[in-house]
Amino acid sequence: MLHRIRDSVLGVLVASTFATMAAAAPSQLSIMAPAAPGGGYDQTARSIQSVLQESKTVPNVQVTNVPGAGGAVGLAQFANNAKGDATQLIVGGYVMVGALIANKSPVTLDNVTPLARLTGESDAIVVPVNSPLKTMEDLVKALKADPGKVSWAGGSAGGVDHIAVGLIAKKVGVDPTKINYVPYSGGGEALAAILGGQVTAGISGVSEFEGQVAAGKLRLLAITGGKRLPNVNAPTLKESGVDVEVENWRMVAAAPGITAAQKADLLSTIETMVKSEGWKKILTSKNWADSYLAGDAFATYLKNQTADTTQVLKDIGVLK
Amino acid sequence: MTSLQSERRLDRAAFGIAVALAAVAIVIAVDTYNLPEGIASYARVGPRAFPYAIAAAMAVLAIATAIAAWRGKFPERPKDEYGPFYWIVGGLLVQLALIGWAGFAIATGAVFAATARAFGRGPLWMTYLIGVGISLAIWLAFAKGLSLVLPAGPLERMF
Amino acid sequence: METFQFLAQGLSVALQLDNLLFGLVGVTLGTAVGVLPGIGPALTVALLLPITFKLDPAGSLIMFAGIYYGSMYGGSTTSILLNAPGESASVVTALEGNKMARVGRGGPALATAAIGSFVAGTIATIGLALLAPWVVEFALAMGPGEYFALMVLAFATVSAAFGDSTLRGLTALFLGLTLGLVGIDLQSGQARLSFGMPDLFDGIEVTTVAVALFAVGETLFIACGGDRTQETITPVKGSLWMSREDWKRSWKPWLRGTIIGFPIGAMPAGGAEIGTFLSYATEKQLAKNPEEFGHGAIEGVAGPEAANNASAAGTLVPLLTLGLPTSATAAIMLAGFQQYGLQPGPLLFVNRPELVWGLIASLFIANIMLLVLNLPLIGLWVRVLAIPRPWLYGGILTFATLGTLGANPSLVELGMLLLFGLMGYGLRRFGYPIAPVVVGLILGPLAEQQLRRALSISQGDPMILFGSPMAVIMLSIALIATFGPLLWRLFKPEGAPSSLAGNED
Repeated sequence: MLHRIRDSVLGVLVASTFATMAAAAPSQLSIMAPAAPGGGYDQTARSIQSVLQESKTVPNVQVTNVPGAGGAVGLAQFANNAKGDATQLIVGGYVMVGALIANKSPVTLDNVTPLARLTGESDAIVVPVNSPLKTMEDLVKALKADPGKVSWAGGSAGGVDHIAVGLIAKKVGVDPTKINYVPYSGGGEALAAILGGQVTAGISGVSEFEGQVAAGKLRLLAITGGKRLPNVNAPTLKESGVDVEVENWRMVAAAPGITAAQKADLLSTIETMVKSEGWKKILTSKNWADSYLAGDAFATYLKNQTADTTQVLKDIGVLK
Repeated sequence: MTSLQSERRLDRAAFGIAVALAAVAIVIAVDTYNLPEGIASYARVGPRAFPYAIAAAMAVLAIATAIAAWRGKFPERPKDEYGPFYWIVGGLLVQLALIGWAGFAIATGAVFAATARAFGRGPLWMTYLIGVGISLAIWLAFAKGLSLVLPAGPLERMF
Repeated sequence: METFQFLAQGLSVALQLDNLLFGLVGVTLGTAVGVLPGIGPALTVALLLPITFKLDPAGSLIMFAGIYYGSMYGGSTTSILLNAPGESASVVTALEGNKMARVGRGGPALATAAIGSFVAGTIATIGLALLAPWVVEFALAMGPGEYFALMVLAFATVSAAFGDSTLRGLTALFLGLTLGLVGIDLQSGQARLSFGMPDLFDGIEVTTVAVALFAVGETLFIACGGDRTQETITPVKGSLWMSREDWKRSWKPWLRGTIIGFPIGAMPAGGAEIGTFLSYATEKQLAKNPEEFGHGAIEGVAGPEAANNASAAGTLVPLLTLGLPTSATAAIMLAGFQQYGLQPGPLLFVNRPELVWGLIASLFIANIMLLVLNLPLIGLWVRVLAIPRPWLYGGILTFATLGTLGANPSLVELGMLLLFGLMGYGLRRFGYPIAPVVVGLILGPLAEQQLRRALSISQGDPMILFGSPMAVIMLSIALIATFGPLLWRLFKPEGAPSSLAGNED
């Protein structure tokens, strides 16, 4: 016990005193998951924690959960409290981008230092197995005929699922404000509505539907990512003639106001982690795609995503 | 049930409730009126329908409550002592002020001591120390034993 | 009969000595943590689940089953004894249970809760084992139209919890509905009654409101009452155990509670609370002496407690057969199952029957252990009431803040605990009932979302609400429940209330 106390006291001292020096990986990190335990952000944060600790890259990593408003509550707290502290990280993602815009949050991703995109998950478009719609082309045809008759079950209004449906409508020449999108809270409820044939089609993360597709209860029409997935037998939207590419990605960001040297250290720590065997194992077990994109390239990507998402949210009418 | 004529005394506190309910109705109505239009939905029942209905019902309830207060139809209220009330609320406020930086035990000890004081047990320094002790034990059990995230302060960091 | 073979195999594993020990530890831990005011089943399971990972799969499943059932049961104890429910599903239990405890009948109240939980848990677990495929079919057939009908039915029966004034009951209900408006509207993404505060965007936490209104409000009310409230609590008067009369009045509510709770728990948008509301209303409607409700009617404890625990098994139906987590607790369990390399879903029964049946067998064992553990403890629990009040209520508030902070570590949440605590005191002071606030907060948003979902799917055609026999039946029952008392008087045979004339002791 005494050892533990001394070590952690030392750890804090070392971290705070030498944080400004251009050393290698920090000896301790604190990662905020701006969501409740169990969700995507939480799992991402805890995966980073376990890989960094087990590979001894960073001996002491803590995860804190601050749920609320699609990540906006956690982000605001992080931007205020962590300023200039290079030992603090926050996990975020595409859902957060949309939530920040839709809620007109005063704190945005400009208030933190984005480091890298880590993982991506494609959405899947499914119909009940007894549906007359056999392919994505059939679904597009039905959508063009009468958008109101095609009801979509998916996640919250303005979320990645809603955005994907809006983009599909726009690309095939249907007014995106005319889509009949029915939001459900939590994956389970939406899945039940699709299985029960309450709605025409469903859209959510690929992993949500995997079990039902394997059991032959749902038909997978297409995935929204840019590339086919190894274990998933379905075309991409582009292959189905709809020029849309949406992925639900997750990232890690550092505190605002850190020095360039500190940022470089954190980036190299993240890169070490992404290249490790432990991280690859986690990606496979959780069915996450490796979408590692770091530094300036990621910053540019983030800027484009924010602009694009704002436009889509306006198109589908969530944002005025 | 008292008969209609028996008491024609205005129950001021109950009348205050009626005013508060009316205020709630107005707040809901104004907030809903200012709601952006949002997504055009096929449902025809948008995000405004329920709030307006609830505001209307609240307004009716406010009027009914005012009438009930006017007729003195609220149940008899025995006299309450307010000393204990201020102690407990004060304890919770102190906890709210302390917990951000002083940690779970130091802050929650105040709640425990203030509640004990409200029920007539003192002295405050002793009940506070007992409260801090109990809270620290809880913190150790839940934060260390079960890794629940609870605010930590100087006291907790010693462990 | 492959089914029984698997079940027997599961039971033989669960009955090994070390596994029994794990089960006992799980039940004890689950009850001990679940009993703390403010800490409901979801938090309890989340906290204790990691402990089970250290064991082999069989042992960990058994311990897990114990934790789950233990935490579901634990909430009722503080409801009954202290009028401080630790979670929303035991709010109804407090209505009659606490009234019983105040006149020295805490023992029978706890006993009927424990035995009712056992009966309901056992029957519902059998239902899970034998009927899961059919129950899940029924649950999936529930569309938004049917859910809306269910909510209407629940609303129609709320008046059972109104107490002695319709005006004050309705006001409390609409206060709850108002609180339910707060946050981002799921269907449109618009923030309502949030005043630009991001902390309010996710709505108001039901657990915080329940704990504040009951635990904090009750503490304030008792403290301010001074000598007036001093004498009202008698730890034990008469027998600690259930009398013949108590048994006679309890067994039917147990069975009815089970029948109501199990299918509603299995519905993807059902939840444990609605079953307890409906059960309470049913018991009040069917009671031979309904005037006793609100003053400590044992039926009002037996029925809802059975419904609560039956829904715990019901929740496992969609989870095991479809991999659908339908409650916060179930979502945490899903994560737990994945740790054992078990992917709940349509193929689980086919691919890993031994694990599924092992779990079901464990649930049986956990249920029995719960009874064995808790019946002897009743004598100890009622002594809680003998703890001097300064320590007792100091402890209640300490745990209430622990539960609130544990679920959501934010100052805003703690501030809300205080705010709603003040509201709870005010409501009590002016004779408003508390339960309808919680009912409105839970049902309001559900009813609104389901209605708008139904109308969205039907493109605005209201006929979807009456489109299925199930919906029509539920709406009809709602009509009958609203005008029930009238009809009841019309059809009730003469001289019915005879056998129960002398049951007050």
